[in-house]
Amino acid sequence: MTDKPVVLVANRGEIAMRIIAAARRIGASPVLAASTADADSPAARAADRVIVIGAAPANQSYLRPEQVAQAAVHAGAAVVHPGYGFLSEQPKLCELLEEEGIAFAGPRPETLRAVGDKGSAREVAIAAGVPVAAGVEIADVSNVVHLGEQIGYPLLIKAIHGGGGRGIRLVTNPEELQTLAPQAAAEAEAAFGNGALYVERYYGKARHVEVQVFGDGFGRAWIFGDRDCSVQRRHQKLIEECPAPNLTDARRKVLHDSSRALVEALKYRGAGTVEFLVDTETEDVVFLEVNARIQVEHPVTEEAFGVDLVAAQLRLALGQDPELPEVGPVPPAAVIELRINAEDPEADFMPNSGTISKLSWPRGPGIRIDTQIEEGYKFPPYYDSLMAKLIVRAHNRDAAVAAIRQAARNTTIEGLKTTLSMHDFVLSHPDFIAGAVPTSWFGPTWEARKENNA
Amino acid sequence: MAEQPSWQDLLDLVAQLNESNFESAAVSYGNISVTLSNSDTFVGGAAAPVAVAPVAAALAAGTPVLTPAAAAAPAAPATPAGETIDAPMIGVFYRRPSPGADAFAQPGDRVEADTTIGIIEIMKLMNPIAAGKAGVLGEFLAQDAQAVEFGTPLVIIDTNA
Repeated sequence: MTDKPVVLVANRGEIAMRIIAAARRIGASPVLAASTADADSPAARAADRVIVIGAAPANQSYLRPEQVAQAAVHAGAAVVHPGYGFLSEQPKLCELLEEEGIAFAGPRPETLRAVGDKGSAREVAIAAGVPVAAGVEIADVSNVVHLGEQIGYPLLIKAIHGGGGRGIRLVTNPEELQTLAPQAAAEAEAAFGNGALYVERYYGKARHVEVQVFGDGFGRAWIFGDRDCSVQRRHQKLIEECPAPNLTDARRKVLHDSSRALVEALKYRGAGTVEFLVDTETEDVVFLEVNARIQVEHPVTEEAFGVDLVAAQLRLALGQDPELPEVGPVPPAAVIELRINAEDPEADFMPNSGTISKLSWPRGPGIRIDTQIEEGYKFPPYYDSLMAKLIVRAHNRDAAVAAIRQAARNTTIEGLKTTLSMHDFVLSHPDFIAGAVPTSWFGPTWEARKENNA
Repeated sequence: MAEQPSWQDLLDLVAQLNESNFESAAVSYGNISVTLSNSDTFVGGAAAPVAVAPVAAALAAGTPVLTPAAAAAPAAPATPAGETIDAPMIGVFYRRPSPGADAFAQPGDRVEADTTIGIIEIMKLMNPIAAGKAGVLGEFLAQDAQAVEFGTPLVIIDTNA
């Protein structure tokens, strides 16, 4: 018998291990909601109990709010932690749990809705005084050239009701704008049933910088610095670091102050991230979106500031003090994280699955590994390719880059292809070492390397 | 031979029928059949009629009930001796349509693949559970009102009898 509160872990892989560790840390009992593919996983063994919620494909298990909610009822859970991805930003799970009197370790459903749609998120941001990309609605598609002059080139034509990257056109000059605007309106009408468009400033050489926030749900905000996640391939982050390098005090203040205003305005509950584009060609800083969940890259912030954000989420959801400190804008250390994926960087990053035949991690001060893989683990083909996160902390960025490069070289994963060699390339590259590469840097740089080697 | 429908095809079908005037519909694609009802009772179709108040409530809330009548039984984690019918979803297993009513099936009963052997309730939505294979039922391994997981063995079945 136990009177420990039960934490239902509604996720898998490394983040399931992470949530289980946080549950242990606060003296709770972790129960894993798993698909059949994960019923005997390392996370399943680490939990006090496993509840099988469905078949291996995520759309028959991890993506089904009613199955997760039912598992929470079976487990007698006090709180459900959704991790990232899957149901983490779905208001439906949160609502089902509310009906059962079970807490959700995340924002309220209305917050998830307000920030979940790009149009509404932009409105919320503007209302809170967060800088957004200059944009203006097109009133008449045959008369647009003056709008181009107002915004400047290049610019983007966007469908107001568009989503998922659809309905976006890049425009570099007035002639193109005049030709493309009517076409885009017709396309938007056909695709979204509404031809409304706006034009927005385009940033082709911007960095991705984000701010870690935490709210108590009543308007109190904590800001835990910033992260740079500009090393990306096709919008997938590969390497993240805290703090963002080469950021002026003035820009950092804009990022942090506007994120705080957003948390206060939303009365945001729990952990979240406010994402921005930081231009490398102008002084502009513009809002991208709010990620209303714990993120993959949260460990760099935790290590830099010495906090446990996942434990804080659970404590808050349980009605307790999240036990978070007030911290300054810049942490006393520099931390870098590598996402080690089961992908072959030499074959267009094709994912692969298989059995881990040999595994060995580096050890030493400031090294953290978040993973559920172990020797003999059969990496399943059903889910995303993230195998492990290697996180290294040092006294400054140069030391962190050098330390994590060696840590990556001292990592052995055999049995399937991984992205470790790609990380070595980036960590040895003078552009990355100098800091502040834009998000457009990795793709062409990686391709050029292959050509140079050919 | 019809092509196997995807999950999305089934969802599209549910969405279409949900907006239509049909009270109930049974559709077969190849070896998969789907029975949908807009009312609180199934009229004909592959699944046995199931009338339980919570279903009506769920339907009133606009949620269609989807019953894959001939879904393949999933692999059970730890199968007892002999063949079993396993829970196709997490939920609470009920052997009878309402408290006090007769059980859907008893040990010794001969069942066909589409015979209803119980109900699994998941978040107040009642799902009739079909045997999935023909045979003679043995002992029930899951009791009435027992919490079950995906793959929990519900009842022993002798498919050679």
